[in-house]
Amino acid sequence: MMARTDQAFMMPPSRWVGYLVALALIVAAPLVLGTPYWRGILVVCAMNVLLALSLNLVLGYTGQLNLGQSAFFAIGAYVSVILVRSHGWNFWLAMVAASAAAGVAGLLLAAFAVRLRGHYLGIASLGFAVITYQVLVNWERVTEGVRGIYGIMPPPPIVLPGLPEISFGNSLALFWLVGGIAFVVYWMLDNLVRSPVGETLRALREDEVSAASLGINGARWKAFAFGLASTIAGLAGCFYPGFVGTLVPDAFNIVESFTMLAMVIVGGMGTMIGPVIGAVVLTFLPELLRSAGELRLMIYGIALTLVVLFMPGGILQLVQIVRTRLAPRADGGGSR
Amino acid sequence: MNIRPSPRRVAVALALAAFALIGSASHAQEKVIRVGVLMPISGPASYFGVQGKQGIELALEQVNAGAGPAGYKLQVQYEDSACSPLQATNTVKRVLEQFKPHIVIGEECSDASLAIAPILEQAKVPLLNAGSSAVKLTESGYKYVFRIFPTADQQGTMLGRNAFEKLGARTAVLLYEKTNAGVDNADTFEKVFTAAGGKVLARIDFGRDVNDFTPIATRIAALGKVDVLPTFGLEGQTVRLAQALAQARVVRGGGGTAIQLGSIWLPWGFEQKAGPASEGYIRVVQFDPTEKRKMVTDFNAAFRAKFGAAETPTHINAHAYDSILLVAEAVRRGATDSESLRDRFSKMQGVEVTTGRISFDAKGQTSDLSVIHFVETQKDLSWKGMAW
Repeated sequence: MMARTDQAFMMPPSRWVGYLVALALIVAAPLVLGTPYWRGILVVCAMNVLLALSLNLVLGYTGQLNLGQSAFFAIGAYVSVILVRSHGWNFWLAMVAASAAAGVAGLLLAAFAVRLRGHYLGIASLGFAVITYQVLVNWERVTEGVRGIYGIMPPPPIVLPGLPEISFGNSLALFWLVGGIAFVVYWMLDNLVRSPVGETLRALREDEVSAASLGINGARWKAFAFGLASTIAGLAGCFYPGFVGTLVPDAFNIVESFTMLAMVIVGGMGTMIGPVIGAVVLTFLPELLRSAGELRLMIYGIALTLVVLFMPGGILQLVQIVRTRLAPRADGGGSR
Repeated sequence: MNIRPSPRRVAVALALAAFALIGSASHAQEKVIRVGVLMPISGPASYFGVQGKQGIELALEQVNAGAGPAGYKLQVQYEDSACSPLQATNTVKRVLEQFKPHIVIGEECSDASLAIAPILEQAKVPLLNAGSSAVKLTESGYKYVFRIFPTADQQGTMLGRNAFEKLGARTAVLLYEKTNAGVDNADTFEKVFTAAGGKVLARIDFGRDVNDFTPIATRIAALGKVDVLPTFGLEGQTVRLAQALAQARVVRGGGGTAIQLGSIWLPWGFEQKAGPASEGYIRVVQFDPTEKRKMVTDFNAAFRAKFGAAETPTHINAHAYDSILLVAEAVRRGATDSESLRDRFSKMQGVEVTTGRISFDAKGQTSDLSVIHFVETQKDLSWKGMAW
């Protein structure tokens, strides 16, 4: 047991280096891409990273097909805005409550989802997203329905003693905030999936019956994965309204769930870094292709199709193939 | 030090001066007004973008011919804002940063227009909108927002009043898509119609994903005598809705008595798609290609010359065309930058365009209701202008 605890706290140097590189990238990216437009795209990218990481926990590590992730994103966005605007809550408190609300919604879905598998679960989760969307559209007294909520302010500034005020009205600070949170979430999930909990989730993914024979309570652990993933998606949703300034139900239609799914699959499902790569690529690619004019969507579609066809393991598979080819062969094959 | 002007030095100096003069002259010729255009080029509303681009291309050819308005050339950059608030927000930031427009034209969908308006207001760049009917857009106190599209209030008020007074309607069923614009139109109609003494028997909304309107038509048929059916939806759904209502023998096109009423949303060509079901349909149009006004006949001819003899311009083509004409007019009146464009727009009264005359009120909304025309679809699917 002692040895195991030591292993958990003693990370290999390569992981430390990876974390430091990620932190450096988060700090440097908005300084390199120093215009409001590109910084705005970085904020969207950070939100997408959170969403892809959350879906990956359910889909990639636990093997549960969830097509309703946009619902939790929406719950986070709406609950935080309603608490702030209608009930006068502090944004940071509202953010915690909204994330928790999304988590509870995830647990509610899990109560039904644990009985289902594969396509059936996919359809049930899709249904959940449709129901959530309809609630947003029709519960007008609370959500304003299709008329939407406008003039939403970014998170309030943070005042730390002895330091200048940090205002999130500019996308530089907002990106560092959302990017920083995405980094912390990544770090937590990375440790989680390497822990016995992660092994349990992977066991469920591989074979539920075998896992049950080892004493794993599948229903409980699936509910855990759903709850945690929806909390993270809700957290991402809290930053969306303040960034766009408006909130309408159409921003959370089921197409968004498929975009999140594409991020996870294109990047590399069941790995930690894969969904991050997927989120970055699928956020930046459409913007970089804008110069291609009307060909943009065609190129985007073809690129996605090619990745899925020839790299079922996602972009990460390509990286691994290249790394394997470049590495010196241990069997001395190079001398033949 | 004594430098004597040798003939060679004088020649070089003269050549440099001439080069500088030519350079400055060519620079002067490059006076441009940059127009950012945000339209849905992808997604379900992409037909707005496709038709809008046609109108803009045609207008640019005309206004940029010769020296251009007041010696300026209008330069356009299109961006796909996809009718989505998030995409529109990102896109408008990109346009502001990379293209540095003096003015932005767009978006079509109200949600996206409402998302970009505060960003342009902050950047002090005028927004000229030609397709969003949500009242909020020109009622939020923005100083840089102008709209040549009649609001839901303007359209709904005239529809409601004319339904009661001119058609003698006393009962109505409201059919509308559940969007900002659809709800606004339905609310206004109901307010005016009921205030006049009419009765709304039912309000039936539908999402943009609905394809089968048979249940709605059957429900209306079961309501008994309905005089008018104000309908607010995009073309594709309205075609299917009209056909379902005809099949249920509710509307005139199917042998019933109810009259379907509609807004500017339906482009030219709707009748051909809906077929006999559209007979008796009365709707507001902002652009009537059959109008004999010279501006309209010239536009029709130019449009056909550019895009094909069989083509008839729609109100979307006309809106985009008019938007460029208005920018050119503002430049002719001395506008050279964003601030002066805003100033010239705010003073525009009675400027003739293909859809009618544009007069901006203090809120930036066109107040001249000459842009609203009523037409009735005849048995042969042609239009008959209503003298309302």
